[in-house]
Amino acid sequence: MTSTFTPSAAPRLARRGIARLAPWLFLLPAALTFVVWVYWPLLDAFRLSFYEWNMLPRSEPRFVGMENYANIFELSKFSQALKNTVIYIVGLLPIAVLIPLAIAIYTQDLPERSRNIYRAIIFVPMIIAPVVAAAVWRWLLDPSYGLVNNWLGALGFEPVRFLFDADTAIWTIIFITGWKLIGFSTLILSAANANINPSLIEAARMDGASNWQIIRDIRLPLLSSTILFLTMITILLGAQWSFAYIVVLTQGGPLGSTTNIFHILWDFGFSSLSVGWSSAAAIILVLGFGALAFVLLRLVDRYSFHDN
Amino acid sequence: MLRRTLLGGLPALMLSAALLPHTAMAQTAAPSVDAPVTISFYNYNLASAGLGGEATRKLIAEFMEANPNIIVEGVAVGSQDMASRLQADMAANRIPDVAQVVFDSLAFVADNLGAVALEDAIPADELAAHFEGMIPAGLNLGRLDDKTYALAYTFSTPVLFYNADLFVEAGLDPDNPPRNWQEVRDAAAAIAETTGAGGFNGSLAGGGAAGFDWALQGVLLSNGGGVLSDDRATLTFDDPATIEAVQMLRDLHEAGIYENMPSEVMIEQMNSGRMGMLLTTSAQQNTLIRAAEGQYDLRVAAMPGFGDRAAVPTNSGSGLVILSEDPVKQRAAFELMKFLTSERGYTIITSEIGYLPLRPSIVDDPAYLADWVEANPLVRPNLAQLERMQPWAAYPGQSYRQIARIFLDAVELAVFGGADVEQTLTAAQSQAQSLMPR
Amino acid sequence: MTTDTLTAGRITGPARGALKFRLDRWFGHAVLIALAFLCLFPVYWMIVTSLRPANEILEGSLWPSNASLDNYRYALGAIPVRAMLINTTVISVAVTAIQLVTGLLAAFAFVRWRFAGDKIIYALMVLTWLVPLQVVMIPNYLLVAKLGLLASIIALILPHFASALAVMLLVQAMRSFPREVMEAARMDGASNWRLLWEIMVPNMRGTIASLAILVFISTWNEYFWPLLLSRTPENSVVQIGIQMFMTAEGTQWGPLMAASTMASLPILILYLVLQRQVVQSFLQSGLK
Repeated sequence: MTSTFTPSAAPRLARRGIARLAPWLFLLPAALTFVVWVYWPLLDAFRLSFYEWNMLPRSEPRFVGMENYANIFELSKFSQALKNTVIYIVGLLPIAVLIPLAIAIYTQDLPERSRNIYRAIIFVPMIIAPVVAAAVWRWLLDPSYGLVNNWLGALGFEPVRFLFDADTAIWTIIFITGWKLIGFSTLILSAANANINPSLIEAARMDGASNWQIIRDIRLPLLSSTILFLTMITILLGAQWSFAYIVVLTQGGPLGSTTNIFHILWDFGFSSLSVGWSSAAAIILVLGFGALAFVLLRLVDRYSFHDN
Repeated sequence: MLRRTLLGGLPALMLSAALLPHTAMAQTAAPSVDAPVTISFYNYNLASAGLGGEATRKLIAEFMEANPNIIVEGVAVGSQDMASRLQADMAANRIPDVAQVVFDSLAFVADNLGAVALEDAIPADELAAHFEGMIPAGLNLGRLDDKTYALAYTFSTPVLFYNADLFVEAGLDPDNPPRNWQEVRDAAAAIAETTGAGGFNGSLAGGGAAGFDWALQGVLLSNGGGVLSDDRATLTFDDPATIEAVQMLRDLHEAGIYENMPSEVMIEQMNSGRMGMLLTTSAQQNTLIRAAEGQYDLRVAAMPGFGDRAAVPTNSGSGLVILSEDPVKQRAAFELMKFLTSERGYTIITSEIGYLPLRPSIVDDPAYLADWVEANPLVRPNLAQLERMQPWAAYPGQSYRQIARIFLDAVELAVFGGADVEQTLTAAQSQAQSLMPR
Repeated sequence: MTTDTLTAGRITGPARGALKFRLDRWFGHAVLIALAFLCLFPVYWMIVTSLRPANEILEGSLWPSNASLDNYRYALGAIPVRAMLINTTVISVAVTAIQLVTGLLAAFAFVRWRFAGDKIIYALMVLTWLVPLQVVMIPNYLLVAKLGLLASIIALILPHFASALAVMLLVQAMRSFPREVMEAARMDGASNWRLLWEIMVPNMRGTIASLAILVFISTWNEYFWPLLLSRTPENSVVQIGIQMFMTAEGTQWGPLMAASTMASLPILILYLVLQRQVVQSFLQSGLK
């Protein structure tokens, strides 16, 4: 069955044939793009991950089996990268989900005009390029000349080496990543919150429910699909979001404190153009996050609550 | 291809006949460029918005004016990405003609990317004529297995910049800078205590190394250690002398005088007069001088050694490598290389970018650098230690970058991360050794 | 939104609720002001720093005492800003236009017909969203090089000919298109092509505008792919230009901020003009 309506004119065989082809023709540009620029490279990466090759036509790829994968997993920084990835996610969740949720709920009653002004302003970080955001925060947080340390100094504190101290660096990157996103999450949650049927709230208030009870029993469940969606993309993409800042600002340091799974695969794999390393890194990344995505989608489906 | 000489007739024939048995293989480069040709020049100075880019563009322009048949197309690639970019372009069959290759990837470029040995491309006497006047230690930098793959172009050695004002304030004698690591430690401790400024930092480990282990190798070599065995088959991270040298750096950190910070931050601190000593590339000189002017008294000393032994400086930087296989392009590339490594070339490189002149004669020549050196005497300690220079060892094989990263990570952990030095370096050695070519 | 009113004097029940309402409101304003400050101040500081002369770059005052365009002059001399801005604009416009077209075509295919494998193909298209650029970067680079496009900006456009996001959003929008209108057009003998372009598209202006803004901004801000392809500053994009001021030898703060401002200005202006629409488009993409 290729069309929902048959043309009223008598179909000629050729026209029938073309009609059957029609969906494929429409799909072709996009499909071709994805195959050429995403799926073919992925399949090639899978194949090449079992070889060592310098990509030059003159030399032959050398089969090395699982060696590339073993090399990556044996990196002493690998477990640190995994641990850091969890820290990034756990650190981003409050900034990307919890705080925006609180803000969305506690600011819902503001007059529309000021709300729109706030919206416009807190959205600005989202449209700034990551490189620019990195440059600006690097400047603000500079240990010698940055404004933040100037203010801290004026208050009597020692300058903090935000990006250069192994204890603070990862939190600084998390902060910058979160800074970029917080407007986005806040707005999404505000919009979802505004969509909640006001009669439900009215009814609850008339029953004498307190604000907290209203939040807990009505708002949160109805916002659950949005909250879960935001949580899911934070988990799946959090490491990727922070990637640009890691590369531009800390290169994974100091002492590997800011590297994550994405960055270590970049550092040892993708950026080096060593085909074996890069391909193995690519497959690890895609399989790992693919599996994670699958699990998360299942969970989100199960726990989402919809207004009925 | 017999080289044509100006001698005509029989003497030429006789000369050629005499030469014939001695040339096992003719040189591949064309004798001259007779028709317009374009060559691509992969260069990393062009990739930064500063003095390096400007000076390089100037040099290229001058060269093209003098050689109207040769068009040089500059391709700007960051230094960290140079080898990868060369590899990627060659894999795509777009052979670069000449490139500014950072020395750490020289082995890779020679073995894997087919860098052209100069002895194979250029006639021996032309090479000899061009090499005359160059420091042998400098020529050595680009040699692998007795062939010259790279001509040292922009390179320098580690020197100890120090803030004479801070020295005075700490009760030290600025005319007697530290000559070994014990003295560095004492001076740094004094400075840190009395002035509160940073004691010491350098392009050695952690953020300061900025991803390259050249200066660190110099410190290791100065103690009799190193990273690579002579036959280039074994990594020597766990060599006792190497471990000892790294332990020395660790002790500096534990004494509170050597902190982990990125390269640009330590330079910033030096520039603002809040760092006592900075062991880094002499190429940093011009920027440091400019920042110090009117602010503090900046001086330079030779790289410190261990105990009584003289330090072994290693080189940083890059050499020029020919990658093209086309005879005419090889000739054009070599002409460019000759210009860039001529007296005029090094004059610009030293005075405008800040690297070292491979031809010491220009330092005292008024036509070239004499006036500049007069005005900037800071370059002298650097020149003095050039003779002791040893090459920055390039790791062999396709995983050379990963090996270097593993090593630098291990050293950072050992020096700044509180890990046991011997254990960390030994573990790194065994993991990295498995990545060496078989 | 509750509509409690504040009645002065009464202190029980509703009034307490009303008082709390006032406090909530005040608290809400405070929080949002703090957040707005946090979001806007860095951008403001970037602009302010770019306007300071070189010797006063370290001043902490909120507005430069001697505003000057020195940094801009320097940045303009150090990197070919004009060429980069032109390149970035061309690429962003091209990618936006092309992604809209391929997205519309593909979305139409999914909505208009049911055919064998349509669910799988849709899933495969959407999955590409999860594949980060770095994973396919090298093979893509080699392909671009083999096509001889290394030195041209077409290389920056080619891999972006289609995107999962565009397909997803357009499918959503088309699915809610009233079927009666579609059927009426079919009855009138309209071809599929006309159906798409002359009937559906004009009625999807909102979604198309939102998507266009999204794609434009994200292409403008792209960094890693242009970095891999950049060979000469004249042929690369503004994001690469910015990064040229951050080196291991030290950062030139003034010119860096000037370059950053110049790179962000077009997007900021676009934002000011289309502010409501921009926010809407990001929200729509998130809410789906």
